[in-house]
Amino acid sequence: MSADQMLAFETDCHIFDGCGFPSPGLSSFLFKPMFEVGGFEFNKPMLLALLSTLVVCGFFWAAFAKPKVVPGKLQMVGEAGYDFVRRGIVYETIGKKEGEKYVPFIVSMFFFIWIMNIWSVVPLAQFPVPSLIAFPAGLAGVVWLTWMSINFKRHGFVGGIKNLCYMPGLPKAIYPLLIPIEFLSNVLVRPFTHAVRLFANMFAGHLLLLIFTIASWYLLNGIGIAYAGVSFVMVVVMTMFELFIQALQAYVFVLLACTYIEGALHADH
Amino acid sequence: MSALQTLAADGIHGSVASIGYGLAAVGPGIGVGIIFGNGTQALARQPEAAGLIRQNQILGFALCEALALIGIVMPFVFGK
Amino acid sequence: MASEEEQNPLVPEIPELVVGLLAFGIVFWLFYAKLVPSINKVLDERREAIEGGIEKADEAQAEAQRVLEEYRAQLADARHEAARLRQEAQEQGAALIAEMRAEGQRQKEAIIEAGHTQLEADRKQAAQALRQDVGRLATDLAGRIVGESLEDHARQSRIIDRFLGELEERAEEGVRR
Repeated sequence: MSADQMLAFETDCHIFDGCGFPSPGLSSFLFKPMFEVGGFEFNKPMLLALLSTLVVCGFFWAAFAKPKVVPGKLQMVGEAGYDFVRRGIVYETIGKKEGEKYVPFIVSMFFFIWIMNIWSVVPLAQFPVPSLIAFPAGLAGVVWLTWMSINFKRHGFVGGIKNLCYMPGLPKAIYPLLIPIEFLSNVLVRPFTHAVRLFANMFAGHLLLLIFTIASWYLLNGIGIAYAGVSFVMVVVMTMFELFIQALQAYVFVLLACTYIEGALHADH
Repeated sequence: MSALQTLAADGIHGSVASIGYGLAAVGPGIGVGIIFGNGTQALARQPEAAGLIRQNQILGFALCEALALIGIVMPFVFGK
Repeated sequence: MASEEEQNPLVPEIPELVVGLLAFGIVFWLFYAKLVPSINKVLDERREAIEGGIEKADEAQAEAQRVLEEYRAQLADARHEAARLRQEAQEQGAALIAEMRAEGQRQKEAIIEAGHTQLEADRKQAAQALRQDVGRLATDLAGRIVGESLEDHARQSRIIDRFLGELEERAEEGVRR
C-alpha cells in the first residue's frame, strides 16, 4: 500500500459487501506531499508540527509577553502549566538551584510535545505528529546531546566516560561484564528507547483510534449497525484515554529528559 | 514444523505478529502491575511522600511499558 | 514520505527530522529568550509583593499592638490621676471642713468673748452709775434727814466712799463666813 491510496473513510466498503476489513497499518502513517519545493516534500505532519509551534508560541506569547503581577485569566492558565513543569518536573528531579537553567528547555519541550500529541484528537488534523519517528527522534537527539555535553563538561573526558559506564560499590568481578552493558545502555539504548517510547505510544494510540473509527464505518451495513454503535462508543472512550496518554507521554518524555540531565550533573548513580 | 512453515509462506504473518505482541506484553504487564501495586502500598504507608512516589511510579511505568510498545512496533518493522 | 517500497517506521525521514527540530527550535528560542525570563521576573515580583504585604501586615500589627499598649498605659495613668484627684479632693474637703469648723469655733469664741467684755463693761458702767446715784441719793437723803446741806463736795464723796467701803467689807465678810 502506498500513501497515494485514499483514506479508509473514502472507500465505500462495508461489511457483507464482500470486501475485507480495511485494517489500518503503516499506510495510515504515510502522507501525500502537499507541495514540493526543490525536492523537499512538505506533508501534513510537518504542517501540524509547525502549527504546534504556532499554537505553543501564540498561547504563551499571549499569556506571558506582557505579564502582570496580578494575572489575567490567560496568564493564570499559562502560569499553572509553567509552574507544573517547573516545580513538578524540573525542581523535583534536578533540584531548584541547578534546574533553573534547564527550565526553558524542559517547559518548551513539554508543551511542544503535548500539543503535537493532541493533534491526534483534533478534528481535521487527527494525526499525532510524534507517531512518526522523526519527530521524537529529533527531540530525543537534542536531549541526548544536551546531557552528553553536560556530562563531559562537568566531569571532563575521563570522568564523563566513567560516569557513563561505571557504577561504584559492586563486586570487582562483575565490572568486565557491567561496563560495556552500562555504556551501551546509557549511550545507545537510552536515546533509542526515549524516542521510541513516545513514538510507539502515539503510534499505537493512533492505530487503536483508527481501528475503532474504521470499524464503526465499516460495520454500517445491515445488522452490523448495532455493532457500529459499540465501536463508536469505543472511539469516544479511546479518545478520552488518548487525551490522558498524550499528556502522560509528554510528561514522561520530559521527566526522562530531566532524569538524564540530572544523572549527567551528578556522578555515581 | 512444516505446518508452521506453510503458514508463514501463506503470508499470515500478521497473526504471528499478534502472537508475538501478546508474548511481548506479558513481561511489561507483570512489571507494570508490580510497579503500581508497590506504588499504591508506598502511598498508603507514606501519604506525605505522594509527589515523589507518584513521579517514580510513572517513571517506572514508562520504562516498563516501553518494552510492550516496542512489541507493537516490531511487526511493522520486520513484518512484511 | 511517500515511497513505493515498504517503510520501516523506525527510520526517521530526514525532512521530517529537520522540520521537527526547526519547530522545536523556534519554540525553545522563544521560551529561552523572551517568555521564561519575563514570567520569572513577574513571579519574583509577585513573591516580593506578597512577602512585602506580609511585612506590611506585620508592621501594622506591631503598630496596633504599640498603640494598644499606649492606650492602656494612658488609661492606667488616667485612672491613677482620677484616684489621686479624688483623694486630693477628699483631703481638701476634709481640710476645708476642719478649717471651717475651727473658724466657726473661733468666731463663736470671739463672739462669746466680745459678749463677755461688753457685759463686763456694762456691768462696770452700771456699777459706776449705780454708785454715783446711790451716793447722791444717800447724800440727799442724809442731808434731808440731818437737815444740813452737805455741800462740801469733797467731804461728801469721802464719806460716801468710806461708807461704801464698809458696806463692801461687810458684804465680803458675809461671803467669807
